Amino acid sequence: MRPFGATGAVGPQQAYVAAEAAPARNRVRALALGIFALLLLLAGRAVQLAFSDDPLAEPRAPGAAIVLPRGDIVDRNGVLLATTVRAYALTATPARVWDAPAIADALRRVFPDLDRETTIRRLTDTSRRLVYLRRGLTPEQRTRVHELGLAGVGFEAEHHRAYPQGALAAHALGFTDVDLNALSGVERGLDAEIRAAGAEGRAVRLSIDIRMQYALEEELGAAARAANASGGAAILLDGRTGETLALASWPAFDPNEAGAAPASARRDRVAGDLHELGSTIKPFTVAMALQEQVTRSGELFDLMTPYVVDSSTIIDHERIEGASTLGDILAHSSNIGAARLAVRLGGARQRSYLDRLGLTAAAGLELGRNQAPLAPMARTRRDIAGLGFGYGLAATPAALAGAYTVFTNEGARVIPTLRALAPDAAVERAPVFSPEVTRQLLIYMRQAVTEGTGRAADVPGLLVAGKTGTAEKLDGAAGYDEGRNFSSFAGVFPANDPRYVIVLALDDTGEGAAGGMVAAPAVARTLRRIAPMLGLRVEARAQNR
Amino acid sequence: MGKAQLIRMLQIIAAVVIVVLAVGLYRAKSDAARTQAHVRELQNEIEAREAALRELRAEIAERESPANVEQLAQDRLGVAPGSANATLPEGEIARRLPAPERAREPRS
Repeated sequence: MRPFGATGAVGPQQAYVAAEAAPARNRVRALALGIFALLLLLAGRAVQLAFSDDPLAEPRAPGAAIVLPRGDIVDRNGVLLATTVRAYALTATPARVWDAPAIADALRRVFPDLDRETTIRRLTDTSRRLVYLRRGLTPEQRTRVHELGLAGVGFEAEHHRAYPQGALAAHALGFTDVDLNALSGVERGLDAEIRAAGAEGRAVRLSIDIRMQYALEEELGAAARAANASGGAAILLDGRTGETLALASWPAFDPNEAGAAPASARRDRVAGDLHELGSTIKPFTVAMALQEQVTRSGELFDLMTPYVVDSSTIIDHERIEGASTLGDILAHSSNIGAARLAVRLGGARQRSYLDRLGLTAAAGLELGRNQAPLAPMARTRRDIAGLGFGYGLAATPAALAGAYTVFTNEGARVIPTLRALAPDAAVERAPVFSPEVTRQLLIYMRQAVTEGTGRAADVPGLLVAGKTGTAEKLDGAAGYDEGRNFSSFAGVFPANDPRYVIVLALDDTGEGAAGGMVAAPAVARTLRRIAPMLGLRVEARAQNR
Repeated sequence: MGKAQLIRMLQIIAAVVIVVLAVGLYRAKSDAARTQAHVRELQNEIEAREAALRELRAEIAERESPANVEQLAQDRLGVAPGSANATLPEGEIARRLPAPERAREPRS
């Protein structure tokens, strides 16, 4: 066979044929060359592949080996607080189910709380190809169901959010639904970051220290039970950086079984509940007055005479005899003294300071809910006086703790956060008071703890400085109810070099349950437990003050 | 060698190359499929082990939780946190919590 035609002598006829066939030959040659070039290319690529590294052996692109829908949450020391584990959904194919009641009864042996009628209804719903009977099965539960050998019943792999610390830090962490959608707490406040962490195989580190969290929760719960309170809230801050070391709400709940807990237990009371703060606001009133020079540290006050403002009479719970100093106003929690200073200051300046202290805005913690305060403008002298001793402004304990950071930063406020900060992280500080005024207030607040209403908060060696608060609760149109109090203590320590802020509050305590009687002792017990964790030494006996 | 012979030779070489490449491609694809299956298998194994590891870490965290440790301290040592008896002399701890048995000496 001659693929490209005959060769030899060429006659006229043949010459004509050859001339006619020439273009066809050229096309065939071009095609052959094209195929040859293609083969060369393929051969070249084969050689390249033969001598290059195995692409499958190349390192994986940066990122996680396993992609999770939500990353782990750990405390500041790396202790696991929340994680995503494998779980199974119990499913059924109704078309393959023969005896629905028998299957329901068998499943109830593994899950006693499974509703029989609902299960039977789902198992017989042949309009659906697949029905879910239960979500979030553990591997052990799956094995037990598998061993039952139920026809038409199967499993689907899924993820489940687990909180290994149980009820500890539950309000801070929050929880997700069965599809891992964030519902509350940090889970919701840092939702995007937690999802990104899951994709990247890293954990989200919180500022919380789980040991301090435990001590705070234990003492808050004990104090709330002892005072017959309906709720409690407490927060401990590193006042220099704003990092939240612990925040607790009482009653507590287990986020692993959040659905079973009552709504009142699931409620975060640190950043979610508003209360008129009461006397814990008085240090700010005194600081404002000193800063604006409407008083001086040596001024003496007559606190025996009731103060009448706009036809309202302001009195103190206990008569304070003799000439009193600014320190006495705080130590004995004088409403008269605070009201006088507030009226001297005026509404505009008072409001400006409250704004800068962060008491008129939501705290901004990375939680699912940060309740904005109720902070109407004080329009009358009576309102201004009331604000001076903590009425007419409802804020959260988190906002109050944030405001108290002015005493740990020489007059500047830092914003509380739940994120763990790097040691060299820049911290934004907003000046409110001068360092001199702040130092003066620390002396007064220390006096309130050593000689005043906050004596029960004193812990030898820790130099606690703070202020008690007892605010009567509003009872609708009936006005303030003396039998229902919001009792609290807010303070900083150690007073000689203040670094930490603590606020502890008990809601709905009974008549006579003042902050100094129910909240201050709980603060002292908490501080005794956490002081060694902070590297502070508690002394067995009181030192010279 | 004539032109026709040259062309024929080239055709034969091309055919051989095509056959070799086809066989090579088949083998390469077979190997790739096998490798991919192996990688999937390894990936599944990694995922299973990773999941088991996460479960173990969760269990460790649960066992090491302050509440659990406190309960153990109270049960085994009679120590309550924040209490006056939170610090025990070394000898007292040894008495209340006996030291584990000494490891056997390895045979020579």
